[in-house]
Amino acid sequence: MVSNIAIFNSLLKGLAVTLQVLGYSVILALGLSFIFGFLSLSKWKIAKIASHLYIEIFRGTSLLVQLFWLYFSLPILGIQLPAMLVGVLGLGLNYGAYGAVVVKTSIQAVPKGQFEASVALNMSPFRRMRSVILPQAFVIMLPTFSNLTIELLKGTSLVSLVTLSDLTFQAMALRSATMETVKIFTILLILYFIVAYPITLAFRWLEKKLSVGRG
Amino acid sequence: MWSWDFAISILPQLLQAMIVTIEATIVGFVIAALLGLLWTLCKRSPFTPLRIAVNAFVEFIKSTPLLVQLYFIFFVFPAFGVSLSPFLAGVLGLGLHYSTYLTEVFRTGIDAIPKGQWEAGSALNFSRVKIWTQIIMPQAIPPIIPMLGNYFIVMFKETPLLSAISLVEMVQTAQMIGSASFRYVEAFTDVGIIFLVLSYPASLIVGVINKRIKQRFGQSI
Amino acid sequence: MNEHVAGEPLVKYRNIGKRFGATEVLSDINFDIYPGEKVAMIGPSGSGKTTLARMLMTLEKPSKGTIEVGGELLWHRNVNGRLMEANASHLRKVRGQIGMVFQHFNLFPHMTILRNIMEAQVHVLGRTKQEAKEQAVKLLEKVGLADKCNAYPAQLSGGQQQRVAMARALVMKPKIMLFDEVTSALDPELVGEVLEVIREIAEEEEMAMLLITHEMAFARDIADRVVFMAEGQIIEQGPPKQIFNQPKHQRTMNFLSRFSAQSQSV
Repeated sequence: MVSNIAIFNSLLKGLAVTLQVLGYSVILALGLSFIFGFLSLSKWKIAKIASHLYIEIFRGTSLLVQLFWLYFSLPILGIQLPAMLVGVLGLGLNYGAYGAVVVKTSIQAVPKGQFEASVALNMSPFRRMRSVILPQAFVIMLPTFSNLTIELLKGTSLVSLVTLSDLTFQAMALRSATMETVKIFTILLILYFIVAYPITLAFRWLEKKLSVGRG
Repeated sequence: MWSWDFAISILPQLLQAMIVTIEATIVGFVIAALLGLLWTLCKRSPFTPLRIAVNAFVEFIKSTPLLVQLYFIFFVFPAFGVSLSPFLAGVLGLGLHYSTYLTEVFRTGIDAIPKGQWEAGSALNFSRVKIWTQIIMPQAIPPIIPMLGNYFIVMFKETPLLSAISLVEMVQTAQMIGSASFRYVEAFTDVGIIFLVLSYPASLIVGVINKRIKQRFGQSI
Repeated sequence: MNEHVAGEPLVKYRNIGKRFGATEVLSDINFDIYPGEKVAMIGPSGSGKTTLARMLMTLEKPSKGTIEVGGELLWHRNVNGRLMEANASHLRKVRGQIGMVFQHFNLFPHMTILRNIMEAQVHVLGRTKQEAKEQAVKLLEKVGLADKCNAYPAQLSGGQQQRVAMARALVMKPKIMLFDEVTSALDPELVGEVLEVIREIAEEEEMAMLLITHEMAFARDIADRVVFMAEGQIIEQGPPKQIFNQPKHQRTMNFLSRFSAQSQSV
């Protein structure tokens, strides 16, 4: 019989890994979202095609397939990556593809008159983006980014299948060691919810803060 | 290193497994739609405790990983005397998880119906059931078909998770092929391509349907 | 005509044409605006007035012909006697002489009124924040909105927003300002305050103005010259008195009579 404290301790260890994976993948996904979002809006045809390919390939195949592909195939192709990196790479690439679409459509959703006013004030393309378009597009992005972050958090549980000892992995290990399935999986679900809820609240707060004076 | 012969030779086996994947998607989607509709109706109930409970439940399911929910159904339910096959546990988990997304879709569809339609129904002395089945749903469903289609595709791409509870679908099959031959690259590349070949055209079709519906109903949601 | 009008034109449209797909919205326009001149442009909607202004603001590319501003080609560069398409930096250089006020104001909703007026001063003209702020406040006083510095556009009425938009364009000190139906989107009771500000600007400022408007009485009042357009062509132009009292063309007469009938029926 394993004590409750022992169960809780090893779940907390897993939680730390989950949060790490989450943090790194959010950063990677966000970076890729903006890079490919901008590329898909560029006038340059090759950039458009490249971002289209990236988006459709990573949205069109499944996250788990991508993780397994990276995990099993890369070593055979001669590339050895630590499990953590595989997890972060898989999650980041996958959610970056979804994020790129959000960045693209949000920028397009800024009313055309805003662009025209910034041209009439003779702003440079950089200044237009920086002062006028992006701040407004960002507010449009936020609700979807909030959802995507929750999706990504849920997606981190898949790294347990490529042997990264995250929250879910620890729970599965405990299950075979203790057979206390009801307790373990109930705590597991609650822990995920405890991580997810503040994320949702934080995004809501940010949305409110950024929409000051508008509407 | 990459063997075309091998990649092609395993296709029949993978396509066989694809049938399980598609079956799981369809059954899962039906469950998701039925449960989603149930949540939507509960959320409109005049009975406050029910509304609060369903809202909390939906929020909880939506915020926690599908994989963990699958484990929960597969490993915890037997403790209460309910043992399900991997397929049943899988489609139940998939359906339950996505019902929390579909309830939002149904809500947008129903919210878009003008108030006058409800009033007209009452004025004609229709029963509540009749108002729902004859007036509201026939109007609420068509505009949300594209959104439902998108979730169908999303669920299709989530079915690989069912391999974690030992359902032999495409990913599980690829893994078995990989461990037997150590040719993981071909196996998972094949699976990836099959997913892409099915989901990309499907999303294009949804786009076309969306356009058609926009033309017919003035707008989709 | 008018005492400002002298010397070389500030703006020269030459053989300007514009098509959107199969429809021709402008055909072979030749048209000048002199420094300091106040030009009112009238005509039925869809006659190409707005397109003409938007081309000058570089928001719409001419399908043919050239535009010169202050002696420099706007959309083209002259390379060894051949006309080449201008690049972005050339457009930016010439565009600096032009300002525009839009029908739908297009204020930046995420900035305070003050920042709306400061942003381009700081980042385009390179003024210091202090200087930009002083200029902004000065112009807000001029349009009667000095107390709204820290408000956001959404908190202002349409008329107030349009006055801010004028301050924002004025502060850049353009040589020519374009007003594109700036009162059309306003509730009728707010039109007056905006016209009043335009009148003041017209009286006090040296710059040229191109005013696209449906306010006939106002056009007649403040313009040095009135231009009547229909179906992508300039039908006739001249001093306001002549255009409104003795139009030479049947089209102009029809338009004006329909207009006065309409305004009487309101």
